[in-house]
Amino acid sequence: MDSTRFFRSGPWLAAVCFALAGGALSGAGVAGEPAAEVPRDELGAATVAHQLELLGKLIPDAEAVKATSAFDPVVFAAHVPDDNALTPERVALGRKLYFDKRLSADGTVSCATCHDVTRGFTDRLPGSMGIGRQVGKRNAPTVLNTALLQTMFWDGRSPSLDHQARQPILNPIEMGMSSEAEALKAIAGDAEYQEAFQKAYGRKMNYEDLGRAIGAFERTLVFLDSPFRRFLAGDASALSAEAQAGWELFNGKARCAACHPMNPSNPLGSDNRFHNIGVSAKRQNFEGLAQKALTALEKDASEQNLDELAIGTDLSELGRFMVTRNRADIGAFRTPLILNIGITAPYMHDGSLATLWDVIDHYNKGGEANLYLDGGIEPLALSEAEINQLVALLFSLTDVRFAEQNQREFERQQAAAQQNRPVRDEGLALRRTLPYEDRVMGAKKSDQ
Amino acid sequence: MKNTSLRYGAGPALAGMICLLFTAAGLVGCGDSNGTPPGGVAIALASSATAAESGTVTMGCCDGKNTVTVSKELAGQPLADALMDQWKRDHPEANWVTEQREKHALLPPADNSDLLQGAQGKEHTYGNYTHLDLLTWARETEKFAAEGSRIFHSADALGSSIAVSCDMCHPHAANTHPETYPKFQPQLGRVALLRDMIDWCIENPVRGEHLDPNGPTMRALEAYIMAQRKGVPMNYGKH
Amino acid sequence: MAIFKSIETKYREERESLFRGLQNLDRRSFLKVSGAALAATGGLAAPHSFQPVTVAADADAPESKPAFRFAYISDSHLYERDVNDRFVRGLLRAVDDVNSLDPQPDFVFYGGDLAQLGQEKELDLGAQILKNLKAPLRIMVGEHDWYLDMGQKWQDLYGEPTYSFDHKGVHFVVLNSVVEKDFWTARGMTPMERMMTVAGLDNGLQSPFSVGEPQRQWLQEDLAKLPDDARVIVFSHSPLYKLYKPWNFWTDDAEEVQAILKRFKQVVVIHGHTHQLLTNRIGNIHFHGLLSTAWPWPYAPEGMPELTVEMSRPDPFNPNDGCGDGEVAVHPDGLIDKVYNLWNRNPITVNRNYLASWGKQNVPPKPNRPSY
Repeated sequence: MDSTRFFRSGPWLAAVCFALAGGALSGAGVAGEPAAEVPRDELGAATVAHQLELLGKLIPDAEAVKATSAFDPVVFAAHVPDDNALTPERVALGRKLYFDKRLSADGTVSCATCHDVTRGFTDRLPGSMGIGRQVGKRNAPTVLNTALLQTMFWDGRSPSLDHQARQPILNPIEMGMSSEAEALKAIAGDAEYQEAFQKAYGRKMNYEDLGRAIGAFERTLVFLDSPFRRFLAGDASALSAEAQAGWELFNGKARCAACHPMNPSNPLGSDNRFHNIGVSAKRQNFEGLAQKALTALEKDASEQNLDELAIGTDLSELGRFMVTRNRADIGAFRTPLILNIGITAPYMHDGSLATLWDVIDHYNKGGEANLYLDGGIEPLALSEAEINQLVALLFSLTDVRFAEQNQREFERQQAAAQQNRPVRDEGLALRRTLPYEDRVMGAKKSDQ
Repeated sequence: MKNTSLRYGAGPALAGMICLLFTAAGLVGCGDSNGTPPGGVAIALASSATAAESGTVTMGCCDGKNTVTVSKELAGQPLADALMDQWKRDHPEANWVTEQREKHALLPPADNSDLLQGAQGKEHTYGNYTHLDLLTWARETEKFAAEGSRIFHSADALGSSIAVSCDMCHPHAANTHPETYPKFQPQLGRVALLRDMIDWCIENPVRGEHLDPNGPTMRALEAYIMAQRKGVPMNYGKH
Repeated sequence: MAIFKSIETKYREERESLFRGLQNLDRRSFLKVSGAALAATGGLAAPHSFQPVTVAADADAPESKPAFRFAYISDSHLYERDVNDRFVRGLLRAVDDVNSLDPQPDFVFYGGDLAQLGQEKELDLGAQILKNLKAPLRIMVGEHDWYLDMGQKWQDLYGEPTYSFDHKGVHFVVLNSVVEKDFWTARGMTPMERMMTVAGLDNGLQSPFSVGEPQRQWLQEDLAKLPDDARVIVFSHSPLYKLYKPWNFWTDDAEEVQAILKRFKQVVVIHGHTHQLLTNRIGNIHFHGLLSTAWPWPYAPEGMPELTVEMSRPDPFNPNDGCGDGEVAVHPDGLIDKVYNLWNRNPITVNRNYLASWGKQNVPPKPNRPSY
């Protein structure tokens, strides 16, 4: 385990806490902070008080707006909507709303439930769990560093953080409010809120401002200070040799950089475009689903319906197609950002890849062949050593403030990967076998 | 061996006579190679026509070592041309520049003859160019680009593991647009120069080995690509 | 600073445009749409076929139902599998695409250049893969198939390269239009050297393509018994017009061939070799190019037909971008809709009205990434 320079190790402690944490949670074996230290609610999210405390330590109040200066100011400004300039009042209001469970129909779910400060601002579940313990089809993306994404949600159906924040509150599987009015009613009685909205936006509380405030808060969640970034800034000792080799591969043989570019103007590692890389393509009948989707959308193509279809039905697998109806977008999802990826397992739109080793295995074999597979995905012929190097690089993308968590995750994932590599396929990876061949040639293979 | 017509003397008549001699007589040939200096006038005659291909005759070369085989029907200048072609093929390194020019329409380097104008030139040692200087520069520059053309068109020289050469997507270096560099190259995820993209192309579509950016292969390729784009205005950042 | 339309507004606009388009569809196309409503003014393919369900935005052109369809695959340039897996993968994908068409086309046409260097193993590999097509195969020769052994292996596999056949009242002619004057004997080239010369698109040593006098004679006789209003489709590997000589996008005796075809009311020529979306019309002849399954060619720097609306410049990150296969819908009047099934892009249809109206109607979508 070479890439441990910045990570404090404590494997036996982690094991104990892992066991405890496993006991505390309902069925999803995840490791957040040691359970003994973190009080959690019935959905597994850390309590609001605890999350706020941690957040305060991570970003002291005064620093909140300043944190965003880590981004290129011109690029950052271009991503902030005109009607929602960043002010301390708006950030404070947004923070309050983010942690407020009153915004859910049964008072158990807030944004922080699925985007938990203690769990990499996600929930470490394949599909998120909402009110009434309903499980959605999509994996909760992290909120960290989302200020520079061009679209929100895996299928990009939301153009901004402000807009995105308003959707889950109304989704029957997530927070389950039946209407905007109902959501507002839940907090209208709170005088503090009335005053906060007035101070932040100079007008009476309304639903769009609610979204804006949450968006403003989320824009301050900038966590870029990773060993990788320090390495790029000139500290050659910040990355292990293994991770440095991984960075070479990232830009070379592994072909990652084309969809996951990281540069000073936009360090997120997402090209903001939509690609079908074949995750879970094996299980899909894309044609049938596409026909179903077109029918459903003909009946009702509203924002609300799209949101419900995307989260709650098997049409979720169609991804971007639901938004654009372009054939090339069937099964395509937006390239996620890869910063802090070490602490945001499991991976992909449906959370079906449990470890980063699985992720690399998936790419190595050329994704899952399907009629709509993005043409840039091809078998990579990476060796085991190279896969380890790439994983080392990916774990080095985590902000140093999460170093402990990152290390624990690394160990957990490594242990799991050593047991089992479910998506691995060496024959495809090394290009010995060709996709479509069996289907085209039938039972007999071509002989030369 | 610069010039076919000079080599073969006073034109078709002589060549014709030589041809007749060869075909008429079954003369014993050169076989051995001791000491006959290359370029010597005496033409060592070959052994009798080989049975391998009917309608052809094998002739010995004046270097005493090599032989060439040509169709019996040829005579005169076409015979001389055929012999020249064969010699060229056996010695691919010889007129490779002309060959590249012929095969791939290499654009010549810029005309610098205005350097020979202007009175100040003569008074300034570092500016006092002669047409021979210009000739040397042009030859060297063209050779560099021709070498690039040779590599560009050869999957082997590129080190491709799937027998793909650059001209398969870029005939005559079309669509390489070197005048648009530096620019943000999405495939690399960062700002790139021409040679970064050449390297990427070699590693990906061509599936060859990474090229040293300062090595002769990369430099020659860059030279050829830029040469083919002669006259196009620079426009960095254009996608 | 971007202006964001709400998703709802965008969808309302798209729905409106859909219903506007729907009014012009005949019943058969409408059935496809009613179960599968959609918008996207670029034209969306129902997943089961390449055929876009709505045609281009200005759907005011006179509609006509196609009489029949055939699919096409072209220019696979196969090497042996262990030399190059990518081109094999391309052909497999194309065969897979065609086999999953529903309904199946009447036949599949192969546009030439099955092998890259004309070697036996390459041709055998290609032939074997093509055997797995469900629909019947009609095949044409390309220069890459021919110049290693002057077509010996090809003829063993597929017989005469020049032939004609009739299908549902349309007369199809298949030419060997890659005949080159002998440039190799004088140079004493070996067969492989000859093949490598022809294989280089920009190799100036080779001769321009031609159909040649014997084949022109044959063509004249073959067409002699047809009336002037007969429906004729000519398959040719080289374009049968003169586009760009340095790349042999060229047929030297194009004018003579066109003269033979001149008397017909309209003739369609479908050609390979150019590996790109290409459209032209000369007098009564409508020319359409085929896509390759192996790699795309860039557009020629000069000589481009005005009617061609180029496909967007391919992205090298996707080795299949700019490649694909497709379908041809033959209408009762003998004109065709040519569907370019570009892989990982929306398909593009060049509607028969586009050529019939000399480019005024049914203009295909313009590229956003032009060729350099």
